[in-house]
Amino acid sequence: MSVLNVNNLRTSLVIGGVEYHALREISLSVAEGETLAVVGESGCGKSMLAMSVMGLLPSVAAITMGHVTLDAVQIEAASESVMEHIRGARIGMVFQEPMTALNPVLTVGEQIAEPLRDHLGLSKREARKAAVALMEKVRIPAAATRYNSYPHEFSGGMRQRVVIALAIACRPRLLIADEPTTALDVTVQRQILDLLDVLRTEGKMGMLLITHNLGIVAGHADRVAVMYGGDLVESATVKELFRNPAHPYSRALLASLPRVDRDLSELASIPGRVPALINMPEGCRFIDRCPHAMQRCHTMPPPVAVGDSQAHSVRCWLHVQGGEDAAEG
Amino acid sequence: MSEALKIDRRVRRLPPGRVAIIAGAAIMAIVAAAAILAPLVAPHDPYAQSMLARFRPMSAEYWLGTDQFGRDTFSRILYGLQITLWTAFASTALAMLCGTSIGILSGYYGGRVDRWLSAANDLLMSFPQMVAGIIIVALLGPGITNLIIAIAITAFPAFYRMARSAALALRERDYIDACRVLGYSDMRIISRHLLPETLDDIIIVATLWLATAVRTESSLAFIGLGAPPPAATLGGLVREGFDNLLDYPGLAIWPSLAILVVMIGLNLMGDGLRDANDPRVSA
Repeated sequence: MSVLNVNNLRTSLVIGGVEYHALREISLSVAEGETLAVVGESGCGKSMLAMSVMGLLPSVAAITMGHVTLDAVQIEAASESVMEHIRGARIGMVFQEPMTALNPVLTVGEQIAEPLRDHLGLSKREARKAAVALMEKVRIPAAATRYNSYPHEFSGGMRQRVVIALAIACRPRLLIADEPTTALDVTVQRQILDLLDVLRTEGKMGMLLITHNLGIVAGHADRVAVMYGGDLVESATVKELFRNPAHPYSRALLASLPRVDRDLSELASIPGRVPALINMPEGCRFIDRCPHAMQRCHTMPPPVAVGDSQAHSVRCWLHVQGGEDAAEG
Repeated sequence: MSEALKIDRRVRRLPPGRVAIIAGAAIMAIVAAAAILAPLVAPHDPYAQSMLARFRPMSAEYWLGTDQFGRDTFSRILYGLQITLWTAFASTALAMLCGTSIGILSGYYGGRVDRWLSAANDLLMSFPQMVAGIIIVALLGPGITNLIIAIAITAFPAFYRMARSAALALRERDYIDACRVLGYSDMRIISRHLLPETLDDIIIVATLWLATAVRTESSLAFIGLGAPPPAATLGGLVREGFDNLLDYPGLAIWPSLAILVVMIGLNLMGDGLRDANDPRVSA
C-alpha cells in the first residue's frame, strides 16, 4: 500500500501574468518502507515537487492540476491549519544544509523536543525524555549530555543527525530527504544514508530521496524517478534503470557517469543545457539536446508509455507504439 | 613599548561597555530608589504650602530651599522624579510592546499591509519629536495618562522599525523554513524563534529611549504641556523655577540637575549595553 501518491500533478508559476508549468503532469508513488529516488539536474523541479507535496510553495506558485494523497487522503488542497498538522507529524523532511537548518540560540535538545510538544502534546518532561531517546536513535553519543549543547558545538554530520531526529520525531509516514548529504563529507554521507535506511525500515516509512548523485541512487533506493525540466521522464526500479535506460535523457545521464573500469581521459557530457522555464519548448522539453528528436517531439508533449513490466514507464515518443513510424512517414 | 602594550592589554581585559553599564545602573538604582521611597525619604509634604516659608535658602530644614509657595524643593524633586520616571517607563514600555509586536508581524508577513505601515511609520518618524509630542498632547488634552500615550506614540517608530527589520532578516533564515516544514504555526515561529533573537536589540533601544522619554516629558512640562499642577514633575519644576530665575536660580537649577543625572544614568546604561552587544566593538 502506497504512503504517498502523486497523480498527474501540475504545479504552475505565474510570472508577469503568464502561467508557466514548473511541474508537468507528474505521477509517482512511494510504498511503505520503500525508497523512491528522484534524480535530475539543478532546476529540474525536484525541490518544487517536494514543496508541492508539503504545501509550502512560494506565493507565485500553485498546484493547478492533479492530486497528492497521503495514506489515501487527498492533501493538495488542504487548508493551512490541516497542513500544519501534517507537516512535521506525518511528513518529515531532511534538508541539504544542516549547518543552517537549526536555530543557533536554542539547544539541540530543546529543538528536538519542540515538535513532540507541538504535535504530540507531550509534557516538558516527557518531551525531554523522548528527545534524548531520539538522539540515541540517530546515534548521537552521550545523548543526555548533548541535549544541552548548542548547534555550533556540533559537527556537520552530527547536526544532520539532529535534523533527522527532528524529522522523524513524530514517527511520520513519509520522509522527504532533499539532498540530505550534499553538504557532507563522503564518509559521513555513507553513515547518514545508512542511518536513514535503518530508520525507514524500522519506522515503516516511505522515503522520497531527492538527489543528483546516481551513486546514492544505486546504493540506497528501491525505485528511481528521473526528472528533466519539470517532466518526470522515466521511472523504474533501480536495477532496471541502470540496465535498460529507455529515455534518451536517462541514457545520456548514465553515460556521463565516470566509470573506474573505463578510460577516464575524457568525461562524457550532454551537450546544451536545460532551457529556462520561460522559454520551455512546447513539446518534449529535452528536444534541444536529444539525438533522436523527431518531427512530432516539437509540437506535442510525449505521453507516458508503460513498458513491458508495469514498473517501468517512460515519457518519450520513441516508446509510443507507432510513434516513430508516424514521425518518419 | 612593552609597558604601553601591557597597559593596553589591561584595559582591553574589561569587556566593552561593562564600566558604563555598572555606572549607569548604579546611578539609576539610586535615583529609582529615591523616587520609589519618596514618601519615606522626603523631609516635607511636597504639596504643603506655607506663606511664612516662601523662598527660603538652603538650610538644615529645607535642604534645597523652598519655592514661592513655601514648598520644600528637595521633596518636590523626589516626588517629581517619581512621576517623571513613571511617565518615561510607562510610555517606553507601551511603545516597546506595540512597536515590537506590530513591527514583527509586519516584517514577518510583509505584503501590502507592511508597505503601508512602513510608510506611515516613516511619516511619523519624520516629525521632530517635540513637534509630534506637542500636537498629540494638544489633541488628547492634559493629564499624565495622555502624556504617557503621547510620548509612547513618538517612541513607537523606533521600536517598529527595529523589530520589522529584524523580522525581515530572520524570516529568510533556513531554520525558519525548517520550522515551517515541521508544521509550526506562525505564532509559534514568531514567539519562539523570532522574538527571542530580537529581544537583545529591543532592550537596548528601550534603555536609550527611556532617556529620550525623560527629555520629552521634561520638555513638554517646561512649555506647560506636562502633568497639570500641583503635580510635581522635573520639567514642571524647572518651569516653575524659571519664573524667578534671576532672584532664586536654585529653584530651576536643582531640578535641571536631577534631569541631567537621570539622563546620564540612562545613556550610560544604554550605550554600555549597546557596546557589550556589538560584535564590532568587542575586542
